[in-house]
Amino acid sequence: MWPRSYRAGLPNTRSSLDEESACLCIPEARAWHEPDRLMTLIGDLREILGPDRVLSEPLERYLYGTDGGMARGEVIVVVLPETAGEVSDVVKAAKRHASPIVARGAGTGLAGGAAPAVPSVVVSLTNMKTIEIDLGNRTAWVGPGVINLDLSKLTRSSGFHFAPDPSSQSACTIGGNVANNSGGPHCLAEGTTTSHVLAVEIVTADGEVVLLGGPAPDPIGLDLRSVVVGSEGLLGIITRTLVKLTPNPLDVRTILAGFATMEDAVATSSGIVARGVVPAALEIMDQKMTRAVENFVGAGFPIDAAAILLAEVAGHPAAVEAEARLVEQVANENHVTSLRVAADEVERAKLWLGRKSAFGAVAQLAPDYYLHDTVVPRTQLVATMQKIYEIAERHGVLMLNVFHAGDGNLHPLVAFDASVEGQLDIVHAAMEEVARVCIEAGGALSGEHGIGLEKRDLMPLLYSEADLDAQARLREAFDPDGLFNPQKVLPAGSRCADLGRPIPAGAWL
Amino acid sequence: MTIAAAFAPFVGLAVADSGLPECDLMAAPQTIDELEQILDLASEHQLKAVIWGGGTHQGIGGRIDPDLVIATSQLNRLIDWQPEDFTVTVEAGMRVSDLEEMLADRGQMAVLPELPGAATIGGVMAAGISGWRRARYGPTRDRVLEVDLVTGDGRRVRAGGRVVKNVTGFDLPRLAVGSYGSLGVIAQACLKLWPEPSTKVTVSVADGDRALATAYRPTAVVEADGVAKVYLGGTEAEVDGQVESLDGTVVPGWFWTPAPTGAVGWSLRVPPALIRSAIERLPSGWRYQAGLGVGEIKAASVDADGAAELRAWAESRGGALVIVSGPVGLYSDMDPWGTPPPGLDIQRELIRRFDPCRVVNPGRLPGGI
Ligand SMILES: Cc1cc2nc3c(=O)[nH]c(=O)nc-3n(C[C@H](O)[C@H](O)[C@H](O)COP(=O)(O)OP(=O)(O)OC[C@H]3O[C@@H](n4cnc5c(N)ncnc54)[C@H](O)[C@@H]3O)c2cc1C
Repeated sequence: MWPRSYRAGLPNTRSSLDEESACLCIPEARAWHEPDRLMTLIGDLREILGPDRVLSEPLERYLYGTDGGMARGEVIVVVLPETAGEVSDVVKAAKRHASPIVARGAGTGLAGGAAPAVPSVVVSLTNMKTIEIDLGNRTAWVGPGVINLDLSKLTRSSGFHFAPDPSSQSACTIGGNVANNSGGPHCLAEGTTTSHVLAVEIVTADGEVVLLGGPAPDPIGLDLRSVVVGSEGLLGIITRTLVKLTPNPLDVRTILAGFATMEDAVATSSGIVARGVVPAALEIMDQKMTRAVENFVGAGFPIDAAAILLAEVAGHPAAVEAEARLVEQVANENHVTSLRVAADEVERAKLWLGRKSAFGAVAQLAPDYYLHDTVVPRTQLVATMQKIYEIAERHGVLMLNVFHAGDGNLHPLVAFDASVEGQLDIVHAAMEEVARVCIEAGGALSGEHGIGLEKRDLMPLLYSEADLDAQARLREAFDPDGLFNPQKVLPAGSRCADLGRPIPAGAWL
Repeated sequence: MTIAAAFAPFVGLAVADSGLPECDLMAAPQTIDELEQILDLASEHQLKAVIWGGGTHQGIGGRIDPDLVIATSQLNRLIDWQPEDFTVTVEAGMRVSDLEEMLADRGQMAVLPELPGAATIGGVMAAGISGWRRARYGPTRDRVLEVDLVTGDGRRVRAGGRVVKNVTGFDLPRLAVGSYGSLGVIAQACLKLWPEPSTKVTVSVADGDRALATAYRPTAVVEADGVAKVYLGGTEAEVDGQVESLDGTVVPGWFWTPAPTGAVGWSLRVPPALIRSAIERLPSGWRYQAGLGVGEIKAASVDADGAAELRAWAESRGGALVIVSGPVGLYSDMDPWGTPPPGLDIQRELIRRFDPCRVVNPGRLPGGI
């Protein structure tokens, strides 16, 4: 299907883009439309990768210009390297030609992370799919192009899985997961991607291949690995990752509870956590979402409930027993209207299919959707949800909610039709208000999808000038020219030359 | 104004702290504001500063002859505790033991090192030290949600947030763990908490490896000089079920054994599967405590004989042998860290942007940076 076309970025990004390009060393102004410049770049890339792995046809370039989010950018050329050495050569060539570089996995990101903000060479890592499993250490070295679910499938028979399980796990890559520090329903107990990464191999802006971290605990020196995780392609291109494998639970129980109000569902979720139980997952859906999902996959959700809670407890059989009882007890205290425990693996899989199809189900309602991602402290969930519904009503948008209630990670979703003039602006305005409300509640701008382009200009809502400058300094230390994924995450002007003492030039230390 | 006069307002109760190194200038900021002023002054005068938390891990890394000692003992306030949210925000000078004691009242734990002594939250974070329970709960870096750093040139910088899941910006909080202050002094942090299990036991077993293979995700398995202890936590039924399969001597509660002491203290880090091999390679006379399933060994010895060979082996397997404490002379005979890691250029570039006059703990990190 021909991809949907959007105008790039948030409203008002135009001026800030121009402003920032002034401080980049990349001569963006020199048009790529000059045939000479483009052809020599393509020639150099073909020399490295051969003709088949350099895609320069207009349709190919168009297809790689966007991700799962709203933004679309301009792709100069797409390359498909297969080794870290090839990535290194590509980076050096692009740098020589003063071309920015955007790394890309499966393109399922929702923040515009893989959509170039300025014309860029797109490095698609999907051909790098090696997996080396080390059961003795409960780890695996994986290429960035490995699909998340494939790793868990491969290790299942040995009794292990890769714990981060984004809803997109059948499509997204581990490289993308690492770059976004992705989460998933089961990250409540197990932690997000960063807790499962022991080492990353990156290609730096100089084209050097560097291994950060390692198989032993507490690698010496600054923990650069930890900051490459979640860096959204701005610090380096990930060419290999050493991930932890997690033992499969001995037993698991999945409980579906229906409630007459959203407040009751949230109170149950928070009540379970407050009692000192950390379930494997605690997911809530509102009625609009349950109905969309039921209609789509027929997961067996109660469509008369105002909200449903999907709770999963997993681990040692004795613990599962006790925790399942506690879940039921807390649900009862909060006026549960229906409660069902998945009888077998088939039923359990069906419930999870329902949860993980939520975003797909929205396609029945409108051609487009905007999926938000914010976090609030768990104690603020009820009050925040109320405000979010009010915002949707005030703006007259169709909003559905499904969220990781256990860790306060909200995903308000607005279904709309982008072809209707002015719709996208209304959606953006509503979503910006949602972000403000969450930050006022002590929350954050993103829990798992990242900042990318979508939320870049909202960063000052959360961070001071000095905070943003520190982030920009960090970026600069890895990539002084802003070669990788320029104009993402940090708003224009984040780097303040006049803060603090001057940085000594030349030799130091 | 003389340097001493400039610092006079900040010289306070620190001097009363025991164990502080001798130094002409001592400062004990009472507020983070004061810490900013101190570091700004230190940068202006190009001073070398040592940051003193509890003093329990000062032996790690390159030696420093400081012009200034900054004690964090007065920065020890509780800023915000949200028990229902399982987060706590504290100033860096708070002692780990005080924090854990406070949290235990509400059945919560920060899962920091088990026998912290005088160690502070900031010190444990800066040194990147984890407890044995990392086997189940992950290392200290997984606990840090938000951090307030005061950079070497005195700018207060905040990153992360007081929520349990967050990808808003680069993960400076995790980068600060193990940074030894090189990006700035850790002034305040928000930590993720865990519920204390309702039942906790310690099981002494003859065969630690077998116990590790038998137990389902134990809290920790620690072997000390040939004797292994399995730490379990969870519901009563779960713990009872696990204990049965282990075949050992059970005592209720978690009982931690102090790390071995000696003239030289070591931290040996290897991939977890190599821990038995590492134990077997310890030079004779070395006493040890090993985290099975984790790959960390705390060891003590009378001298450094055999250490070079052990280090070479560990490094060849992707690990390290780090000096934790020892006589001053040892640090000139043997690099305290071993071979510096890759990415040293990036580390340098980072530090010069956060501590341009290289004030805080200069030379302490691997590679002498
Ligand atoms: C239906 C649906 C459901 C989703 N559910 C979840 C969810 O539950 N939890 C969640 O966290 N996310 C979710 N997402 C978002 C998305 O799937 C994740 O962010 C995912 O990790 C992105 O992986 P990707 O391979 O598609 O990366 P891409 O979208 O291709 O890239 C994402 C970012 O990572 C960078 N990048 C990619 N590969 C590399 C590399 N090798 N080196 C350096 N940088 C790189 C890109 O530049 C970009 O900034 C969902 C998305 C969709 C469409």
